[in-house]
Amino acid sequence: MEIAYFLGCIMNNRYPGVEKATRILFDNLDIELKDMEGASCCPAPGVFGSFDEKTWASIAARNITIAEDMGLNIMTECNGCFGSLYECNHMLKEDKDKKEEINQVLADVDREYKGEIEVKHFAQILRDDVGFEKLSSIVEKPLNLNVAAHYGCHFLKPTEDIGIEESAENPSILDDLIEITGAKSIPYEEKMLCCGAGGGLRSRDIDVTLSYTKTKLENIQAAGADAIVNVCPFCHLQFDVGQTEVNKKYGTDFNIPVFHLAQLYGLAMGLSKEELTLDSHLIDADPALAKVLAEYDKLAAE
Amino acid sequence: MIFQGVFPMSVLERIKALFNGAKENVIKNISEEEVLDSEKENTSPKKTSNTSSSKDGKLDDVVSGTKTSESFTKKSKKTSAKKSDVKKIKVEKAEDKKTEDKKSKATSTTDNFSNLGKVSKNENVSNLEKDSKAKDTSNLEETSKDVEANEINTSKASDAEELPSDNKILEKEKEVESDEEKVSADEVSEEKSAKNNKKSDNMTLLTDTELLTNENIDKEFTKEFIDAGIESVDHCFQCGTCGGGCPSGKRTPYKVRQLVRKCLLGLKEEVITDDSLWMCTTCYTCQERCPRSVKIVEIVKKARNIAAHAGYMAKPHKMTGLFVITTGHGVPINPATKELRKRVGLGELPPTTHSFPEALKEIQTICEKTGFDTLIGFDKETGELKE
Repeated sequence: MEIAYFLGCIMNNRYPGVEKATRILFDNLDIELKDMEGASCCPAPGVFGSFDEKTWASIAARNITIAEDMGLNIMTECNGCFGSLYECNHMLKEDKDKKEEINQVLADVDREYKGEIEVKHFAQILRDDVGFEKLSSIVEKPLNLNVAAHYGCHFLKPTEDIGIEESAENPSILDDLIEITGAKSIPYEEKMLCCGAGGGLRSRDIDVTLSYTKTKLENIQAAGADAIVNVCPFCHLQFDVGQTEVNKKYGTDFNIPVFHLAQLYGLAMGLSKEELTLDSHLIDADPALAKVLAEYDKLAAE
Repeated sequence: MIFQGVFPMSVLERIKALFNGAKENVIKNISEEEVLDSEKENTSPKKTSNTSSSKDGKLDDVVSGTKTSESFTKKSKKTSAKKSDVKKIKVEKAEDKKTEDKKSKATSTTDNFSNLGKVSKNENVSNLEKDSKAKDTSNLEETSKDVEANEINTSKASDAEELPSDNKILEKEKEVESDEEKVSADEVSEEKSAKNNKKSDNMTLLTDTELLTNENIDKEFTKEFIDAGIESVDHCFQCGTCGGGCPSGKRTPYKVRQLVRKCLLGLKEEVITDDSLWMCTTCYTCQERCPRSVKIVEIVKKARNIAAHAGYMAKPHKMTGLFVITTGHGVPINPATKELRKRVGLGELPPTTHSFPEALKEIQTICEKTGFDTLIGFDKETGELKE
């Protein structure tokens, strides 16, 4: 199986450990990730989607044409990219007028959107294409962690359009994928709350964004989570960088390690924190890693 | 009929009490109720003075009861006048806000936003006040009518067991109305003086410049949503489910239900000049819960598109646009990440526009073709924003 691997911006340009873990994971799963050469920003729905729909759809459609030329479905590990690419693909497949309008723009760069491929989310591929059974087989070191799953917004919603079979208010896909690693996905208040970064809010009004993040962190801490696991590099950045910003603004001392689901799988496959670039996170991942290692030592001693 | 339907028992009881010679007690009870009511609702100082005057024992005859009823009716009239004002939607000083918006381009958005917060707080407070006043008045009306009923029955004490007939009540109401007219002159002067006193509760009063009229309606604005395929804007019945679950609504002056309504009404300036339009994180909670399947997030994005094209764009958003035009990425690579990538065995640059200049050229061509470069004020010469 081959998939066109859409990188986006924040993962490859800020948290390359997520990309590294994904490449190793898919190698282990015998799925070939094909680079989409010359792909760009998805583009960011909060800015392009909010400023000019035509530009947003044109740049997104251009990205999709790269995969169409490869004859492959797209995989993305970012909710924002998924939202942009999926929504654009969906819209242009449904609306012939819009498709024509966008193709007029793309004609200037010798491209044509055809509507031949699917856009899929990383977690969706793991559950629906790989399957839990096969996934379990790659776990070498079960993780003794209590984890707070953060779904983010543009992963399952709007459910009317998105083709992932899940409930928007009470989903289980991410929890299920977390538990395969041996970690426990624990319940917490307002689990489905947004991280606060989306819609262009983080750049426009950081205070409002941090108010969201603070609520999330309080609820996650109250539940006793060892780490936050997400499926979106933007949420990831918000919980990592944003956590230090919350601490600064509110005088709190949150210190909850943050993992992208791919990094969690990386840990379960026995990759080091350097390989996963966890050492570059602003929030120290060591407390969670120490807990995992302590468990190994205990098991080894037995 | 309404009169009987709402509180026949209390009237009946009081009539009975009256004829048992417990007139004074009854009136005392009434005044106590008033005190309770006023305490419960934490009313304005004006009302408290009313109540205390009745408490001073001036209510020992029926005539003073009528006086109380007069002053209460006066209040009720005021409220009804206010209610009709409320029907016309209040403008949050569009003019002021425009200046604020311009200012925001220079100063930080946080500043600007906190101003907004203030405006809306005032609005909230005033709404609350309106609500509680309306409630109060209805309670008070009840009491005053009770008093009236007592009066009716004392003056025409022919049939003790019979409730006052509708006719009698109507007559009585007419009397009260004429009293109201007498009062209205006083009222005006009272309001004027209250207006000068900025601390008063008259902040709810609207001036002509704050009213929305047909002139504020731009049907073309509404049409833009319909033309964009968001016909569901018209399906909204204003139930408020959206606002109830909105996390930004909890934290900011953003009112998603109101936004949908304004878009449908065509209140373009109202919508696009309002900074709170940008407080939505597009989390879809509203849209998922909407019982009418209104594509709320699409409405928000469309409204933002129209606002952006009208010049309402935050600098940080333009910057993200600039990054995409100049690098192909909203968040471009930096030296630290290049190092990290190299360390973990990934290419120093990802195989994106960062590695393919001709691909970046395509992005720039697209942005020129759609006019996005002009929209954000991109200067091709300098590679920066014009401002």
